[in-house]
Amino acid sequence: MSTEMVLEVKNLVKHFPIMSRGVFLKKQVGIVHAVDGVSFAVRKGETFGLVGESGCGKTSTARAILYLDPPTSGEVYFEGQEVGKIFKSKNKQEILKLRRKMQYVFQNPYASLDPRMTVADIIMEPFAIHKHVPKSKWYDRLYELLELVGLENYHAERYPHEFSGGQRQRICIARALAVEPRLLIADEPVASLDVSVRAQILNLLQELQRKLGITYLYISHDLSTVKHICDRVAVMYLGKFVEIADTDELFSSPLHPYTQALLSSIPVPDPETKALRIILPGEVPSPINPPSGCRFHPRCIYAKEHKCVENAPKLVDVGRGHLVACERMFS
Amino acid sequence: MLRYVIRRIIYLIPLFFGILIIVFVASRIAGNPVQLMTVQNPHITAEARQRLTEYYGLDKPLYHQFFIYLAELFQGDLGNSYALRGGIAVTTLIGDYAWLTFELQLAALFLSLLIAIPVGIISAKKQYSKLDVTVTTTSLLGTCIPVFYMGIIAIIIFAYFLGWFPAGGAHSILPERYPFGSYVLDELWHMALPTAVLTFATLAPVVLLVRSSMLEVLRQDYILAARASGLSERSVIYKHALRNALIPVVTYVGLYFGAMLAGAPVTETVFNWPGVGRLFVEATTKLDFPVIMGITVFITIMTLIANLITDIAYGYIDPRIRFE
Repeated sequence: MSTEMVLEVKNLVKHFPIMSRGVFLKKQVGIVHAVDGVSFAVRKGETFGLVGESGCGKTSTARAILYLDPPTSGEVYFEGQEVGKIFKSKNKQEILKLRRKMQYVFQNPYASLDPRMTVADIIMEPFAIHKHVPKSKWYDRLYELLELVGLENYHAERYPHEFSGGQRQRICIARALAVEPRLLIADEPVASLDVSVRAQILNLLQELQRKLGITYLYISHDLSTVKHICDRVAVMYLGKFVEIADTDELFSSPLHPYTQALLSSIPVPDPETKALRIILPGEVPSPINPPSGCRFHPRCIYAKEHKCVENAPKLVDVGRGHLVACERMFS
Repeated sequence: MLRYVIRRIIYLIPLFFGILIIVFVASRIAGNPVQLMTVQNPHITAEARQRLTEYYGLDKPLYHQFFIYLAELFQGDLGNSYALRGGIAVTTLIGDYAWLTFELQLAALFLSLLIAIPVGIISAKKQYSKLDVTVTTTSLLGTCIPVFYMGIIAIIIFAYFLGWFPAGGAHSILPERYPFGSYVLDELWHMALPTAVLTFATLAPVVLLVRSSMLEVLRQDYILAARASGLSERSVIYKHALRNALIPVVTYVGLYFGAMLAGAPVTETVFNWPGVGRLFVEATTKLDFPVIMGITVFITIMTLIANLITDIAYGYIDPRIRFE
């Protein structure tokens, strides 16, 4: 693994306005702070995990990176190029080039394939858009891709509804690979699949990474799959990162109280072990009115009156590339 | 596929007879046409009435009349009118009126789809914008205002006050009145008002349908996937979104197609348009049984065929639908 950065995200913010609708006038009545100043970098060829509970801003982060939902502020650099600048320039060629390099695999393979297109049409559509494959080679490339994701040639002429969830996700992966991307953002790719199929898809992703050297940004709320395939992990809570570390480091010595609670929730497959389970008090606060200071303070057992309520802690390197955002690190 | 069509047609036969029986019985319950024909003649004798009743075969039991009707129907004979154009054959009568109905209805359907689909798309794309609010409000008004009211208002404004269009009919009575001496232009000129009113009435529900269906599709992940793969916004809308959003619209048009052959009785009556709808209203008020039955047969067959075509069309539009 090199230390070259493929993706750099600096202070990414994504806010969604809440509009109240009158008959003719719209009025902004609030803001959902989906992502609130997130910074991280993904190394070439690694799998970077993004974990957090539902609604903490994982998907918003991914969509803002891809500019599917333009970010409110902050910068995203892909191989040194600023993504936002390229999209704002409206230069079609540059935008297409960038779209080719970054691809997205969706959580729900039942909703992410056009029901009216055959598998062949779906996978070959990017060829028509980017014209990176000569027309005479389209079918050869299609069959290559199908083989790569473990599907058969005769599947090409079928429609999405004729496949199982796992097979559909393979089609989605094949479509993403059709443009030969450098970065694949996988947004909970196995969350809606049967447990028995999850391992197959995860193994497929790992195998593809070995063969093609793609970098992954893997988004999940499932810590066991993250432990299985990620090299580094960032833990997200209410639109902010609380901890970033190598997977082994994070799972063996989590420093942030939220990470500790999250990790203690993983079931241990051993009836003899009495795992200590940390139960967090209360619910995740609303992202419309996030808590002041450290966003975790209302639920943190270590929270100190002034420090944590007033100061928003920054991510600090505590050694070995382990970053934590917690006041406890200073005292 | 062929088996499916044959099976569907076999299913249609009992349905067709059911409809025939209901209309046959219902029209005969409505009254006695001989009475209606002779009511204005004070000198008519009971014998003359009896002769007329026997002449039309109305003295026989109902089931007997029905079998006679069926026997004639299978020979392609729909009987002769009791009261219209001196007892003209019903087939000729419908043939004369059907074309004008087709003309009016096809023009209205074509225009309304031509307007409704793009308007629905833009409205969905800019959901909650001022344009969208205006479009939905107008469409709601369009669905709420009855056609006859809209028709009368249109006649008052455009025919009475402004005098731009004729108030009714399909042709000028005197050929001298034809614009530029052209019979075709004259008909188009007469068609303008009823077509506009019918278009507006048909348009409104289609706009709402296209809009809601587009909104539904635009939320799907495959739209986002298409954008992520670099497809232009135009292609995303027309290639992926619209093709999926049009499925319910095809259902609507299919159903409408069946209904439109019945003519628009209200619109045609308001504009005095000599179409099947107005003919049906006229025949009903005169208890002209052969005409009522003839139009019923015509509409029923056309509707059933239209539904069959819609069902088959589904298979081509939506690959998830299989015949069997």
